[in-house]
Amino acid sequence: MLRVQGVEKTFDRFVAVNEANLEVEKGQVVAVIGPNGAGKSTLFKLITGHHKPDKGKIVFKGEDITGLPPYKICSKGISLSFQIVNVFPRLTVFENVQAAALSHQRRTFNLFSAASKFAVKETEDILDSMGLSRAADRISGSLSHGEQKVLEIAIALGNNPELLILDEPTAGMSPEETFATIGLINRLTSEMGLTILFCEHDMELVFSIADRIMVMHQGVSIIQATPEEIRNNKQVQDAYLGGAE
Amino acid sequence: MEIAANITLSALAQQFLVGLSRTTILFIVSSGLSLVLGVLRIPNVAHGSLYMLGAFLCYSISLFFGGGSTGFWMALVLAPLCVALISLAVERGLFCHLYDREHLMLLLFTFSFMLLFKDLVKLVWGSDYRSLSAPEILQGSFSVLGMPFPRYNLFLLVLGPLVALGLWFLTNKTKIGKIARAAAVDREMVAAVGINVSWVFAAVFVIGCFLAGLGGALVAPTQNITQGMDHTLIMETFLIVIIGGLGNIWGALLGALIFGLTDSMGVLIWPQFAIVFPYVAVVIVLMFRPKGLLKATW
Amino acid sequence: MPSRPMNWKSVVIGLGIVVLLLVAPLFLSRFYIYFLALILVTGLLATSLNIVLGFGGMYQFHHSVFYGVGAYSVALMITKTSLPAFVGFMVAPIVSALLAVVMGLICVRLSKLYFGMLQLSLGSLVWALVFRWYSFTGGDDGIHGIPLPSIISSINTSYYFTLIVTGICLALMYAVTNSPFGRIFQAIRDNPERSESIGVNVKLHQLVGQCIAGFFAGIAGVLFVTVEGSVFPDLMFWTLSLEILIMCLLGGWFTFLGPMLGAAIMVSLRTVVGVYTEYWTMVLAIILMLLIYFLPEGVLGYFLEKIKAHGSGVLREER
Repeated sequence: MLRVQGVEKTFDRFVAVNEANLEVEKGQVVAVIGPNGAGKSTLFKLITGHHKPDKGKIVFKGEDITGLPPYKICSKGISLSFQIVNVFPRLTVFENVQAAALSHQRRTFNLFSAASKFAVKETEDILDSMGLSRAADRISGSLSHGEQKVLEIAIALGNNPELLILDEPTAGMSPEETFATIGLINRLTSEMGLTILFCEHDMELVFSIADRIMVMHQGVSIIQATPEEIRNNKQVQDAYLGGAE
Repeated sequence: MEIAANITLSALAQQFLVGLSRTTILFIVSSGLSLVLGVLRIPNVAHGSLYMLGAFLCYSISLFFGGGSTGFWMALVLAPLCVALISLAVERGLFCHLYDREHLMLLLFTFSFMLLFKDLVKLVWGSDYRSLSAPEILQGSFSVLGMPFPRYNLFLLVLGPLVALGLWFLTNKTKIGKIARAAAVDREMVAAVGINVSWVFAAVFVIGCFLAGLGGALVAPTQNITQGMDHTLIMETFLIVIIGGLGNIWGALLGALIFGLTDSMGVLIWPQFAIVFPYVAVVIVLMFRPKGLLKATW
Repeated sequence: MPSRPMNWKSVVIGLGIVVLLLVAPLFLSRFYIYFLALILVTGLLATSLNIVLGFGGMYQFHHSVFYGVGAYSVALMITKTSLPAFVGFMVAPIVSALLAVVMGLICVRLSKLYFGMLQLSLGSLVWALVFRWYSFTGGDDGIHGIPLPSIISSINTSYYFTLIVTGICLALMYAVTNSPFGRIFQAIRDNPERSESIGVNVKLHQLVGQCIAGFFAGIAGVLFVTVEGSVFPDLMFWTLSLEILIMCLLGGWFTFLGPMLGAAIMVSLRTVVGVYTEYWTMVLAIILMLLIYFLPEGVLGYFLEKIKAHGSGVLREER
């Protein structure tokens, strides 16, 4: 479904991503792991169009999306949930998610009908499944950090994506929130058939929910394989797992 | 409309020199604005009012010292200092509490100062215009290719580069300049190494305002000193700072040159619409270099 | 937040104001009717500015240029052509909207301060042209004694015309700010980067916003001509742009009616304080400073927040 081939990105002579390859099949949960600064976030932002790759090719559902602006990539069915909380602070929680849903329904140039009539059901469903219904009318800027992270994912779901990219979804969450989020990810894949690409520092979480894992080190994708194979791979242990423990 | 076909070489040279003297004033005022904008990030709309204040103060101080040459030279030194003093009070009293507000708020805050100064000037000097003559040594003119060129403008042409050099020295060679430049890029960092950023900011603000006052004092003998003389000037200096690159002294010089020369050359090409030319130049620059010609400090 | 339903109290107050405005000519003198009309026109202008400023988060530094162009368009069409005046009334806002689109095409590539500055220079360019083009625009004198259709030539009828048009425009703008477009526009204000990643073409929305704001500013310009009967270049000078920015701030730029309130305060201040002292701007300046210091959300914004019991600190601190 998504194929990243030999992608490279350099910032001011600093090579953030170098020869990254990645393959995501429909319905899979794919994790990207690697130490800090391995280029995981940059890789995600290259896929979603926030950065333009210097080299390489990104193909989604057979279509070349390399270098398209973020809004176009989003409309093709890829949604990103940011690592750093990146919500609309003055809007309510409901409005945050509704904005994404409105955008998905291509209603953003509807000038004279009331916004409160559109995408209500979709929004409420998402808020329900994320456990945010109670907070629906709160100004999102006033939520706790953990709640904002949940909202972050909810906004990404508002676009009803086929591929959901989560950049460290549980960073800054309480253990309960983390637990709930894992449950959610499982539900999303099993019930809705969503394809998920994520990166995460919590190895336990990664190995428990990922179908496949890609390891990045210093901007290079070392290997992509099943959790079993990763666990037993010498190269990975040297480069990453060994160093982390 | 008379699109001049009779542009002679001497007229061209004369307009060029006129443009350069205008550039000097514009540069002095806008370099001050650029400092304040670049380091403190305050879009100071009241900068033009300080310029106007400088001009009026120059007039009054000159009278106080009996007019003539002595009066003028005293005024040229004291008027910008008075402006600097006023700005110090304002900075310490009000602005230093507002640095972390949004640009828009700061802009409106300085706009209210512009309104305040406008009425203060009206209160003190009335609505009439004033005029001041240059000291004898700078009166009269000499000829450039057969066209008269005022001596005072020559004085401006000498002073402009001096101010530029002084500013360059201040920002690049002195400790306070280095701190200010560092603070413009990352103020938390500078504060973290134990430097009192607040006073550095105050110093920069005062220097910037001093330059506005100096510009006003310098312009005083060349034109009528009136209310509203700040209106077009502040706008021009803002655009100069933007096309030059925010906070960049050489950018301010370059911007002032573009502005001053397009204006004076425009007079030769199409007198009626001469004021349009600088704006066209600004638009063209911004279309191709949205962040200004030279590197902005932030 | 403006989108939340008002309680019955504010509905009563609103209706009361509307009724008062409707019957005002019965008991107010000519001067006050003129004064009310001026508030309405200025308020409409400020509200149109606030669509892009408060709801779109764009640094609209030179909004009055669309107002001035609207006013000049109708003035020129009445004085230079034989078209009926009402055709001019229709065309002028479209001219303003077109100018807004052209300027927007050049400006929206930039953001925040740079956007504002480029707009300021483009707007000044238009101002300078109008200021100097004596043979066409009357230069710095402007155009005076513009003949108006007899139906709106008396002060009372022009007042009602202004009131009705302003009312319709406010209703339309309210609809826009609460439409899906308005919702997305607020999202862009809050976080342009995030808006891009939920599939919103930010620049295109900003351009549409410019067009809408320019259109309504043009209508305000038309109304100014019907009230004043003259036009002059100060209508598009940058100080007016800053003044209406202040009105938005004063009233509350995250509320829908705040700019209207701000306009009422400013125009009244000018008129009332102006009666006692010629130094009214000083009074205004001091009020503004106090306001920026203590009520960064504006007057209406402040009270709305008071009303909302769970008003969050984030609203004030977020920048």
